[in-house]
Amino acid sequence: MLVKYFAWIKNITEIEEEVIEDPSIVDVNSFKKFIRKKYPKLNEHFNNQDLIRIAINLSYTYENDKIMPKDEIALFPPVSGG
Amino acid sequence: MIKIQKENFNVEEEIHLIKKNLLSVGAVSTFIGYVRNKNNNKKVSSINIELYQDMVQKCLDEIVNKANQKWNLLDALVIHRYGRLNVGEKIVLVATFSQHRYNSIKACENIMDYLKKDAPFWKKENYEDGYSWLENTSSMSIQNQ
Repeated sequence: MLVKYFAWIKNITEIEEEVIEDPSIVDVNSFKKFIRKKYPKLNEHFNNQDLIRIAINLSYTYENDKIMPKDEIALFPPVSGG
Repeated sequence: MIKIQKENFNVEEEIHLIKKNLLSVGAVSTFIGYVRNKNNNKKVSSINIELYQDMVQKCLDEIVNKANQKWNLLDALVIHRYGRLNVGEKIVLVATFSQHRYNSIKACENIMDYLKKDAPFWKKENYEDGYSWLENTSSMSIQNQ
């Protein structure tokens, strides 16, 4: 899957996007587990429920949605447009 | 119509481009957002707006379509800029076109509310001594001094 990072999350991952292929990632929860391990500095932000939002294929996730290998996942902080 | 662009825009011209073909328009309501020089007691020198382009397009399409249906609009225009913007520059324009004022005013407000809540844009506010990433409703705690 293609994973994209935005705003200050990018400062932590030090990368804008990457391809992640890991059979353990099957849904949002397993994806979070993987990312927390890969980027420990994101842990404190994941612990704050409102701070990191996840989108799958351009749509917000609100539950433990399924993730398929070819999905595009985005991690980003609360928005501030307008 | 939705436009996501770096360039500045002329409000009168943008409205005219739509209105000239819609003779039944009796009301146009607009919201224009600008970069202000102060925020959270700090002097702002400029901002940078980052976006998730594909998702912004999808999100704004949905927001505008819903507003069109709910408020029976004749048309709607959203222009949102990205990149580096200086104090005083325009950030966003929402213009809603309808037969009567009530629907255009309500739709304009509605589109802005959802844009600020859901559209994946992020503002980085630049100061003389650092910057802050903002979130709508309050300033982010993550700062770089």
